[in-house]
Amino acid sequence: MLGTLTTLMLVAPEWVLRWTKEPRGNAFWAEFVVWPLIQILIVLFIVLTLVAYLVYLERKVSAFMQARLGPMRVGPWGLLQPAADGLKLLLKEDIIPLKADKTVFQIAPIISVVAALVVLAVIPWGAAWATIANVNIGLLFILAVSSVGVLGLVLAGWASNSKYSLLGALRSSAQMISYEIGMGLSIIGALMFARTLSMSGIIEAQQADGVWYVFFQPIGFIIYLVCALGETNRAPFDLPEAESELVAGYHTEYSGFRWALFFMAEYTSMLVTSAIAVTLFLGGWSFPGLGLIKNQTLFVVVSIVIFAAKVMVLIYLYMWFRWTWPRYRYDQLMDLGWKWMIPAGLANIVLTGIWYVLALPKSRGGVFGLMQLGLRDRLAPTRWSGIIYFVVTGFVITIPIIWLVLAAINRRTRDFNLHAQRQLQIKLRAKRLQKHAEPQAAGEGAS
Amino acid sequence: MQLHGWEAVLFYVLAFMTLIMGVFVISARIAVHSALFLISALVNVALIFILLRAEFVAGVQILVYVGGVMVLFLFVIMLVQTRAEEESRVRLYTGQTKAVYVIAMLLAFAFIAAMRPAQSGFQSPDATAPTQTSADRGTATGQGAGGVSEDTQKVGSALYREAALPFEIASVLLLVAMVGAVMLARGSKQEKLYE
Repeated sequence: MLGTLTTLMLVAPEWVLRWTKEPRGNAFWAEFVVWPLIQILIVLFIVLTLVAYLVYLERKVSAFMQARLGPMRVGPWGLLQPAADGLKLLLKEDIIPLKADKTVFQIAPIISVVAALVVLAVIPWGAAWATIANVNIGLLFILAVSSVGVLGLVLAGWASNSKYSLLGALRSSAQMISYEIGMGLSIIGALMFARTLSMSGIIEAQQADGVWYVFFQPIGFIIYLVCALGETNRAPFDLPEAESELVAGYHTEYSGFRWALFFMAEYTSMLVTSAIAVTLFLGGWSFPGLGLIKNQTLFVVVSIVIFAAKVMVLIYLYMWFRWTWPRYRYDQLMDLGWKWMIPAGLANIVLTGIWYVLALPKSRGGVFGLMQLGLRDRLAPTRWSGIIYFVVTGFVITIPIIWLVLAAINRRTRDFNLHAQRQLQIKLRAKRLQKHAEPQAAGEGAS
Repeated sequence: MQLHGWEAVLFYVLAFMTLIMGVFVISARIAVHSALFLISALVNVALIFILLRAEFVAGVQILVYVGGVMVLFLFVIMLVQTRAEEESRVRLYTGQTKAVYVIAMLLAFAFIAAMRPAQSGFQSPDATAPTQTSADRGTATGQGAGGVSEDTQKVGSALYREAALPFEIASVLLLVAMVGAVMLARGSKQEKLYE
C-alpha cells in the first residue's frame, strides 16, 4: 500500500516522465527526490539511534528510582548497551509458532513500526530546513497514521494463536480506540487558537500570539498527556502487555528482531506523542529570546536543540510515571477514558468556544473585543489584555467548571469515590447479614 | 475532469489496486484476511482522495475507517470463533459465480451509462480556483501557515452552514443507537446494586 506507492514514486522508470512530459531536470530531481531522501535518511538514523538510547535511558531512570546503578558493564556507564542489545536481538532465532497465521504474523510488527515511523515526516524538528514536510493537514495526518498502529498490535495478537496474545490484543484495541477519542477532543481547544492543522503553522501561531497554548489550555494539555499515555500503552496503562497477567500480551509469541520492531514502535510513538504535545502546547521549537540569534544556521541548530530538549522533558515525565504508579485495573482504565477524559474534553471544547466567541472583536459579534487581526488575517488575542483574559478563563473558570462536571458524572463510580463506595459496601454488608440472620432465627424458632 | 501525467498514472494504479483488493475481500477464506484486504482498499481510496486534493477527507477516512471501524471489526471477528469453518474445505466457486459475473457486468454498464452525462458537467478545478500546491511544497516554515488550510475550511463551513441539520440528525441517530446498545448490554443486576 503506502510502501508500494513510495517505491513507485522513487524508482519510477524514465519512460513515465517522458510520457507525461513534465518539466524535469536537475532542479526537479534535487527538490523532490534527492533532498527528501537525504532528509529521510538523516531523520531515520537519528530517531532510531535515539530510540535505542531511550531504552537505555529508561533502564537508567528506573535503576536510579530504585537506588540501583542500571547497565554499567558495556562501555563507560553502560553507554554501549543499546548496541549490544541490538546485536543480540538480530542474532536471536526468529520463531514462528506452528499454528500461527504466518503471513499476518510476519506483517503485524511491520505495520506497527511503519505507522510509527511515517509520522516522523511531518514533525517540525526545528525552524526552516529542519521541517521536512509542511503538510497542511499535518496534525490530522499524524493522528490518522498513528491510529493505524493499533492494527499491528491487534493482528499480532490474533495471528499468534495464543490466548495471552489474543487477550492482550483485545485489551489494546479497546484501550487505544477509547483513548484516541479523548486525545482527539483534547487538541481541539488549542486548534481553535491556532486555526490551522499544519504543524509549523501551529508553532507560528504561538509565536504570533506570544504565548504557549498550555497557558490557554491547561485542561487540554492534561487530557492530552493522559490519553497519550493510554495510546502508547505505557504504564500505568500498559494492560495489553501486563506481565503479571498476560506474560507479555500481544507480543508473547514474538522473538528476535520481530519483537524488537514492536519495541521500536512503542518508543517511537512515545517520541511522536511527546513531539505533538510540544508542538501543540509548548510552543514547538520557539523559546523566549531565540530571535536574538542572527546567524541563520545557528538559529536553526539552536531551534532543533530546544525542540529536542522539550521532547526529552516529556519523555522523562513518561518514564517517571511508569516507575512511580501501579498499573490500572481494566475497568478503571475504561472508566478513566470514558467517564473522565472524554467528558472533560467535551466540556473543554464548549468552554473554550464560549471564551473565544466572547473575546472576538465587536465587529464580529464579540462582547469584549480582545482579539485583533494579526499575521495573515489570523485572529490573535491582543497583547496582554487578551492574553491575560484567556489565561484567566483557562485556569480560574474552566478548571472548576470541569471539576464540577466530572464530579457530577462520577458521583457513583467505584474507584474514584472511595468514601461513598465504602459506605455502600457497609450498607450492603449489613443488608446481607440481616438476610442471613433472618432464616437462622426462623429455623431456631422452629426447632 | 481530466487527469494529467503523474496524477493519471497514480490514479489508475490506485483505482486498480482498490478493485483488486475489493475482489480479495470477498474471496479470502479467513475473515481476518478479508478485513486486512478491506483495510488496503480503504487506504487506496484515501490516497485517491489526496490525489483529488481533498487531504482532510483522506485523513478522516484513515482515522475513522482504518483506525476506528476496522479495528472494531477485527475486535468482533477475533471474539467470534470462526477457525473451524475456515479450515473445512468449503467450495468457494459454485454455480453462483456465473450469475455474479453477469450481474457485475450489468452493474458496470449501468454505472457507465449514469456517469456519462455527468462527466460533461465536470470542470477542472485547476481552471476555476488557484490551488495551494506551490505554497504547500515549500520546505520553509513560512509557507502554508496562513489561517486554516483551504480544504479543511471548506469541509467545515459546508458541514456547519449548509449541512448542519442533516449532520445533527445523523449524530442524534447514532446517539440513540449507542444508548440503545448500552441499555441492551446492561443487565438489571448492575442497576440493582446501587439501589
